[in-house]
Amino acid sequence: MFALFSGLSALLLEGLALWLLGTAEHHTHPLAIFLLAHLAASALLALTALALMPSLTAGSRRSSGLLMFALSAFIPLLGFAGIAAGLWIGRYRLAASRPRGLRTLDLPALDPHQRERKGFHQSGVSGFLRNRRVPTPQRLKALVALQHVPGRVASPLLRDLLGDDSEDLRLLAYGMLDRKEKTLNAQIHAEQQRLSSARSSITQALAHTRLAGLYWELIYQQLAQGDLRTHAAEAGLRHAREALALRPSGAGLYLRCGQCLLALGRAPEAEVAFEAARAAGLPDHRVLPHLAELAFLRRDFAAVRRLLAPLGSWRGMMGVQKVAQFWSPQ
Amino acid sequence: MNAYPTAADADVALLLEGTYPFVSGGVSSWMHQIILAHPDLRFALVFLGSRRDDYPAMRYELPANVVHLETHFLHDDLSEAPDTPRSRPGNTAAFADIDALHSAFRSGEAVSPKLMQTACAHIRPGGAIPEHDFRHAEAAWQRITDHYRKHCSDPSFVDYFWSVRIMHQPLWQLARIADKLIPARAYHSISTGYAGFLGALLAQATGRPLILTEHGIYTKERKIDLFQSEWINDNRNAFQRDPTELSYFRQLWIRFFEQMGRLSYDAADPIIALYETNRARQITDGAAAERTQVIPNGVSIARLAPLRAQRGDAIPPVLCLIGRVVPIKDVKNFIRAMRTVITRLPGAEAWIAGPLDEDPAYVAECRNLIDSLDLGDTVRLLGMQRIDALLPKIGLVVLSSISEALPLVVLEGFAAGVPCVSTDVGSCRQLIEGGDAEDRAFGSAGAVVGIADPQALADAALNLLSHPERWRAARDAGIRRVEARYSDALMFQRYRAVYDHALAPSLAKEPQS
Repeated sequence: MFALFSGLSALLLEGLALWLLGTAEHHTHPLAIFLLAHLAASALLALTALALMPSLTAGSRRSSGLLMFALSAFIPLLGFAGIAAGLWIGRYRLAASRPRGLRTLDLPALDPHQRERKGFHQSGVSGFLRNRRVPTPQRLKALVALQHVPGRVASPLLRDLLGDDSEDLRLLAYGMLDRKEKTLNAQIHAEQQRLSSARSSITQALAHTRLAGLYWELIYQQLAQGDLRTHAAEAGLRHAREALALRPSGAGLYLRCGQCLLALGRAPEAEVAFEAARAAGLPDHRVLPHLAELAFLRRDFAAVRRLLAPLGSWRGMMGVQKVAQFWSPQ
Repeated sequence: MNAYPTAADADVALLLEGTYPFVSGGVSSWMHQIILAHPDLRFALVFLGSRRDDYPAMRYELPANVVHLETHFLHDDLSEAPDTPRSRPGNTAAFADIDALHSAFRSGEAVSPKLMQTACAHIRPGGAIPEHDFRHAEAAWQRITDHYRKHCSDPSFVDYFWSVRIMHQPLWQLARIADKLIPARAYHSISTGYAGFLGALLAQATGRPLILTEHGIYTKERKIDLFQSEWINDNRNAFQRDPTELSYFRQLWIRFFEQMGRLSYDAADPIIALYETNRARQITDGAAAERTQVIPNGVSIARLAPLRAQRGDAIPPVLCLIGRVVPIKDVKNFIRAMRTVITRLPGAEAWIAGPLDEDPAYVAECRNLIDSLDLGDTVRLLGMQRIDALLPKIGLVVLSSISEALPLVVLEGFAAGVPCVSTDVGSCRQLIEGGDAEDRAFGSAGAVVGIADPQALADAALNLLSHPERWRAARDAGIRRVEARYSDALMFQRYRAVYDHALAPSLAKEPQS
């Protein structure tokens, strides 16, 4: 409505301006009157054009309006006629040929499982497993692939899946977790038999060492939870100490004691054990990460930085290396 | 040795794979109930097992209306034909039919009944492809080598050859069983798999109806076994192997059982599930929706309700797992949960009531766990117990299983006034919390927790045992629900209708013949 009103007004004013120019001899200030009417017509035309043109952002509205005004104002008649013709063509001629019935569509979200690929490399097995939109047969295959993944990585994923909607996935995840635990428990059982039949102190010490390692493995692979985890840590500690009593030089056993003590939440004793491991000759890169963890638990961040500094240049385990880099001063 | 009853014919032939009457458990109890509830029908039992030694004795006294029992052991009696290979070309046209059947399987489309009928006729005794031909004919060899070249992604032909042979040979065995079975007016299979396939063969040969009742979902359970089994080889080398791809032989076995399930569904009407989720699963696996229906299990309220009066006012701090001590019941989860329960409720006890002889290795694992968690005094493995004597003495029925269908023990507990804490498997959530809105209005009859989560199991049990008002509310909800929805009378009434419908056509024919 506004566009119609302002458009007509612009046309009338421009017509008036031209008529005034044509009858200039009858007026005292013909140019001033012409300019006044012409500029007013140009301004009204620019407003009409803005109202009829597709929505524009605030900045481009201003510049487009100024351009229209300038064209109309500084190219009298032709500028005005050109803009009016352009508006008419754009608004009514081109619009009439636009196809009807179009809908606004959402862009598709990237969901890598939908790609025609056999493997899971694009999104990783864990992404696949956690994505409930992936069809169950494909998730089952991804789950089967976890059989080749170390327990420490696989166990949390498998435990997540125990609450999945798909019973097939739940059962298979359970079976895989159970099998890992069963294998370790069977090894523990066999080692205990070996220990009870061991005669010499060397074979006893070896059996205790292996048992401490197996119990620790239950914790490390996150197979033992809650009270069972506590039980495994206590058993691991007991066997590591028994082995140390028989073979006091075992530096690795001090480390095992420290790990079990840490799992039990006995941090001060764990620190003593880690220091003993270091004193017994265990290399820094094996002990320092544990000492740094203890320092972190104490919230002694300066000590964390100091302890991890020597590991910054160590080309060993990726995980430790990344932590060391994070805590490095640079 | 074989003192089983025999008869010339029967009304209903029950096709039983690895269950009643040689194995005790939920499915077997249900089967026993059904037979007893139809004293006017004469039942024949066809038992399929793996090895004779695995089923040394019957666990049930056969009701009087079981007129015939025969046992077949697929692993022991694999072949009847003497193994003396001689040159034979094989019936090329008949093998072409088998090719067409396999192409239909591969395409994933429904197999046409005519094709299926033809293929079944070929393997029947006297058919165009006798077992000898499958094992020794040139046409069979041609097929096996062709399929190996076209489809197999495992390099070992030897493994492929033996997989195909071992996989298919029981089909001829089942065809022989079907051929020799006494006439029956209807067949009722309690699972898909081999029993379901036998049912399909019988239904096709005789034109008599096949009823299929599935407690769990056979194909799904078999698939989980196959995913985990260690006897299936993968011969791909480091360059051929893609760890994300299942080994070909594993896929082959899975497809085999999927097709067996499909063929059973194609032949059966009605197809009965115990609860809605399983019905949906059957449809996904290829069952025609219009032939499926749900008939839940039921228990005898008249027998169990009087047990409520035997209970005192106090809630006994006894948690009881009633079931076979086998891995699927995840008894170890229950034992682990007891570690927390005992710590927080020192007077509590755990009873495990169920047969201990099915998986001795697992029982040993459970005993080791009890010892290692210092629960020797409080967790007791009672062996098989009479439920009537047990239920009045316990405070909670606990179900720690990783898989169930519609467990009778939960319903029996409810009927006797004992709430239940269960893992979220099968229809347990529906039993405890209710299914539809009307059912949920009865209230919660206990608690449901995730599988393999001993901490949650312990918390839920303690929550009920240490709050008598919550326990009583759960007990009352259980009683209301079981009486309204899960009585055996209701179940028998529904099965009566199923049998009447299945037997009606043969009854109509009899006066004319």
